[in-house]
Amino acid sequence: MSEDLLIDVQQVTLRFGGVVSLRDVSLAMRRGEILAVIGPNGAGKTSLFNSITGVYQPQEGSITFASSKAPPLSVIGKKTHRIAQAGVSRTFQASRLFSALTVFENVKIGAEDHRGIGVAGALVKGPRTRRGEHTSDKVAASMLRFVGLFDESNTVASQLSYGARRRLEIARALATDPEVILLDEPAAGTNPSEKLELTTLIRRVRDERDVSVLLIEHDMKLVMALAERIYVLNFGSMIAEGTPEEIRANPAVIDAYLGSSTEETSA
Amino acid sequence: MNLLSRSSLKRLLAALLLAGVVTLMTGAPGGYGVPAYTGLHGSFLERVSYFGLFRTQRWFLFLTLGIIAWLVSTYYQRHSLTIRRRLEPVMAIPTQVMQRRTNRWLLIGLVVIVTIFIPKLVHQQFWMYLIVEQIGVWILLALGLNVVVGFAGLLDLGFAAFYAIGAYATAWFTGVLPTPAPFNHPIPTLWCIPIGVGLAMVFGIILGIPTLRLRGDYLAIVTLGFALIIDDFVGTQSGLTGGGEGSLTVPKFAVHVGPVHYTWGISPTPYYYLCFLFVVIFLIAFTALEYSRVGRAWVAIREDEVAAESIGINPLKYKVMAFAVGAASGGFGGVLTAGLIGNINPTLFQYQVSVNVLILVIFGGMGSIWGVAIGAIIVQFVTSYLDNYQPWGYQLNDLYMYIGALLIIMMIFRPAGILPSRRRQREIQSFEVDHEGHLDEVLTGDEP
Repeated sequence: MSEDLLIDVQQVTLRFGGVVSLRDVSLAMRRGEILAVIGPNGAGKTSLFNSITGVYQPQEGSITFASSKAPPLSVIGKKTHRIAQAGVSRTFQASRLFSALTVFENVKIGAEDHRGIGVAGALVKGPRTRRGEHTSDKVAASMLRFVGLFDESNTVASQLSYGARRRLEIARALATDPEVILLDEPAAGTNPSEKLELTTLIRRVRDERDVSVLLIEHDMKLVMALAERIYVLNFGSMIAEGTPEEIRANPAVIDAYLGSSTEETSA
Repeated sequence: MNLLSRSSLKRLLAALLLAGVVTLMTGAPGGYGVPAYTGLHGSFLERVSYFGLFRTQRWFLFLTLGIIAWLVSTYYQRHSLTIRRRLEPVMAIPTQVMQRRTNRWLLIGLVVIVTIFIPKLVHQQFWMYLIVEQIGVWILLALGLNVVVGFAGLLDLGFAAFYAIGAYATAWFTGVLPTPAPFNHPIPTLWCIPIGVGLAMVFGIILGIPTLRLRGDYLAIVTLGFALIIDDFVGTQSGLTGGGEGSLTVPKFAVHVGPVHYTWGISPTPYYYLCFLFVVIFLIAFTALEYSRVGRAWVAIREDEVAAESIGINPLKYKVMAFAVGAASGGFGGVLTAGLIGNINPTLFQYQVSVNVLILVIFGGMGSIWGVAIGAIIVQFVTSYLDNYQPWGYQLNDLYMYIGALLIIMMIFRPAGILPSRRRQREIQSFEVDHEGHLDEVLTGDEP
């Protein structure tokens, strides 16, 4: 394997009782790329994400995250928060913001260092605590500027429009200073102009913030415009891998996915 | 007037039903040695004064009240928009005033001064005693549980356990339990404050690490079990804890540092100041925590644990911290109680205590430190007053009937408490929009 691998998923099988959610799935993500995973509903895309982020524990196979700052991390068996701290961040299919907090607070929580205890620091408010607060404020502000939500800093998150929520989720994920960000259907439920904004934003995430992007998406236009390589899942198995052009021409993919539901995906 | 419209008649029916329930609740009690129907029968047929005009049966009085309530609610329904618009500027005044920093400090200063002079204002020793034992200690308990339930969103039904640990630790270390004090060397009661607080925190951690992996309802059941175990343990292990008899008399708090010699005696006033000091300390500490990164992590977990984990927050760690921090003030409440009343016994730490504290937190406003403190003062004061004066034919046994009714009314009209935490209020509002209001999930912090 080449040395610029960032996430290496090797023959992962994930079962829930008798139901096989992922069967012998392999995926190799390089540092600095925008990679998409597509597939019909129920193909196991989100299961794959959950396996990479430690929400699910696959029974077989291995997942390795090769951080540039630390020794490679074997993901399976690790807790979600450990994997997040190591540099794998994510967003969710149905946005999961802290809806009672303001936009700014949402991102600030992401920027904060959650290691250590923090109670003593909170009570004494020494210089270290104050410096920490200052840093996370700065990070939060810059992330909000990055996604264009700085002017909404004091808005309560639940009052944002759908597209803005998606951007806020990306800002929160970026605030954790990740090396890779996993986007689970970022464009779901957004209107065409918001989709366009998101496409630009996701590309900027990679280009300007130097964060690799792993993407699940139903919207083929967005995937084709963004992804440099695409993996295709169907019924829990990886059926194809390649550039957008290759995928578009792949008969198995057309059969499993594009052919049968063109209307739905282009909608 | 469309008093005869369908919705209006529906309201009339509701008002009459409610009047019927209130008649029953406030009526004469049944009891042993009287016919079984006395309570029911008496509630409706007992003769009372009808607004001082003539004497009639109770049902007639309450029927009138029900109809008045119906008329008032119909009037309000018709003019609610106007009424609200007129009231809005008036209701907004407190918020506007409080927005100014100086005003906030003025109010806090005023509260502090009044609190300091309360022993001068209350002349009855009996009431001073109640203020410490029934109000002061319960503020401490409520503040502690508020960290667990309000901040971290963990439904803890066994908070009395930490209270018991604080009290029994005091009794143990001062050597008034049947089992000898550690190292056979009883220590002064004042030294038990750090020990009681520390032990309660340790127990919070010990209980928390295995159980806080559970969510929502399961956690509530486990904490309930823990409280029952502690209750049972202190009640039955006569050789260790004195069983039902409890401890001998815990020595009074005393300070002997250099030239300073002071002993907290029989008068409740010095305990009042000790309690006040610690309430202030916990108020400041918990407020600082709420607005620190720890407090924000708690909110994150409460709102969405999965999302919190995805940004690197270890939910278990922060939940255990909430348990330990909350246990601290519960433990101190125990130490103070032991020093104040001397003999501690299992009846002080029954399951009821946990529920009572939870009621204070819900009433005051989960997650709102000031709300919880004020809620504790109101509920505990009213309860103590009712217990000791029994006005308007109030029956001791009826207390929880009224508290239950109060909670139902609160949940309908002010679910976030009397002085809601702003974040909690937003949570409930956004939740109601999403889910047409299932408050249990807001309470337990479960994911929808």
